[in-house]
Amino acid sequence: MPADAASKSGSGQSEPPVDSIVGTGDDGIVREIEHDDFDPVGTLVLVLIYMAILLGMWVFMYFVEFLGRGLTVVG
Amino acid sequence: MATARSEHAFVDKFPDEAGVIKATFLVAFVALGIGAFFGLIQALHRTNVVRVIDSADYYTMLTGHGVLLAIVFTIFFLCGVFHWATARSLDRPAESKLFSWAWVGLMLTGTILATVAILGGLVPSLGMSADVLFTFYAPLQAHPIFYIGLAMFIVGTWLAGADWFLSYRAWRKDNADERIPLQAFMVLTTMIMWYISTLGVAVSVVFFLIPWSLGLIESVNPLLTRTLFWYFGHPIVYFWLMPAYLMWYTVLPKLAGGRLFSDPLARVVFVLFLLLSTPVGIHHQYLDPGIAEGFKFIAMTNTMFLLLPSLLTAFTVVASVEHGARQRGGEGYLRWLGALPWRDPAFTGMALAGAMFAAGGFSGMINAGMNINYLIHNTLWVPGHFHLTVGTAVALTMMAGSYWLVPQVTGTKLYSRPIGLLQVIMWFVGMVFMSNAMHRAGLAGIPRRTAEPQYQNFEFLTPIGSIFELRVQIALGGTLLFLSVVLFLFNILLTSLGEESERPVDAYLPEPLSGPEGSPRILDNLAMWTGIAALLVVLAYTLPLAGIIQNGGGLFGGGLPVPATVSAGLDFVLMTVTSAFNTLLGVVA
Repeated sequence: MPADAASKSGSGQSEPPVDSIVGTGDDGIVREIEHDDFDPVGTLVLVLIYMAILLGMWVFMYFVEFLGRGLTVVG
Repeated sequence: MATARSEHAFVDKFPDEAGVIKATFLVAFVALGIGAFFGLIQALHRTNVVRVIDSADYYTMLTGHGVLLAIVFTIFFLCGVFHWATARSLDRPAESKLFSWAWVGLMLTGTILATVAILGGLVPSLGMSADVLFTFYAPLQAHPIFYIGLAMFIVGTWLAGADWFLSYRAWRKDNADERIPLQAFMVLTTMIMWYISTLGVAVSVVFFLIPWSLGLIESVNPLLTRTLFWYFGHPIVYFWLMPAYLMWYTVLPKLAGGRLFSDPLARVVFVLFLLLSTPVGIHHQYLDPGIAEGFKFIAMTNTMFLLLPSLLTAFTVVASVEHGARQRGGEGYLRWLGALPWRDPAFTGMALAGAMFAAGGFSGMINAGMNINYLIHNTLWVPGHFHLTVGTAVALTMMAGSYWLVPQVTGTKLYSRPIGLLQVIMWFVGMVFMSNAMHRAGLAGIPRRTAEPQYQNFEFLTPIGSIFELRVQIALGGTLLFLSVVLFLFNILLTSLGEESERPVDAYLPEPLSGPEGSPRILDNLAMWTGIAALLVVLAYTLPLAGIIQNGGGLFGGGLPVPATVSAGLDFVLMTVTSAFNTLLGVVA
């Protein structure tokens, strides 16, 4: 995109990071990874952890709110 | 001013746009400061730690906190971000500088009017108040200038959207076959959603609340104004959220040292929000009498569909951040998290905001479910939920994003990265205390929207911990959040007062790993998506609204007669839609 191309000159990749500059993440790149080389297995792990917490919260909620009280919504 | 940065800095390339953005950010940050102060007073008052106001004035504080933070701060900041994103991604200035300043002026005038009406509640001799809370529907009534101010504010946002659509039209003339740049696509789809959803609140304010507050009509149909409010009141959640998503999708991967995983997936997410975010408002009214259970069930089903774009976002954004971590040498299943730039407040703030949003997803799913919602409705659980979503996912992303955006429009370097880092972490910790205590207090049945959350001869019980401990956590959390805002405003103020720099920020945004060229062109067909979104709204709302008007005493409630032509028209609409619905059911069966 033109805007990206225009701003690319300001990416600062050839300049050392300055302490008070934000957005210098790309300065620390040690290897380029293209689309086909990238396998987001870490994302899968985080999503599975999220789902496990979700399941745990629902089970916890069942114990806190329902168990021993009988059905309060139906009947 | 020609400096060495002129080739690439936003402020030099688009000086007029930078001026508009600075103005919107300034209003947003002033509102943030005042709203946060009101929040501190509330947190200390409700928990009985320090009481500096009368309990009657609590509702003035509550309204000011809600309106100044949830409407003024978020939407003014959003306008700045969208103005930046439109100019940057289309690589062209706005079509008219005067027009841009016109919408800023209109929104600001509306804000001042509404704020004066709210603060008037603290000075009884003025005879002016607007203690109607953020949810400004009947039967609570505000001074007319509150509603007039809100109407001006909304019209201002419409003009802002028109400004960005005019830029897009001009860009399209020069780029007939190009795909819409991603950031512009996000701005346009968000604004289409906003136009559709604000129609409800515009009707409510202009036709009912303003005439009612001026005494031109004696009464309104409260359920109708309530339904029209929530018709807008839930999509506004996405109006807050979508600029945060814009930053998560297009800025956060860059801050992490990576690239957006998939441009087409991002477009799908924004289209889904356009389609799905408006026909769900009735899910705020599960406990309202006067709306049939069937319509509530449809709203619940539609709401559950809305989980899809958020889960897609969780995958895409986390994958993009992981890409950055692995490019920076990260390895393993989870060790890559350590390779992320956690010392950058812009990155850390946004990442923590995303983590909090995941937690907000838990309570959001509870809110959305018809049956389990009954347990927590109108309890402190609900503020606990939206302090995770708008209060952290959105607000913390906006503050963190400011550390990267403000230097672009001022040309000055961030005053202090360590203070920024402390600020975003303090917000996260404060919100952990406050919102977890609010959720648990809600499960114990403690009500919301009250200065005196206690009853005579009744004691709230918690399954774990104690009520005292929850109150301490809320007071502590509220104090940390206020201090965090003070640090933020201090850092931004000194940043904007600093000297111009040759390299104020690294503004380059890399191309996505998977670009738009591989996605179907139909994703860019904004007219078609608008038509489908409008159709879904008609399907979701026609019958409930007709029922509310017919069974709730007509358009103006109170048993007042509805003009015969209007009544006949409503009867006709109701009969036609019911007949079509029954025919459809017959065909399906």
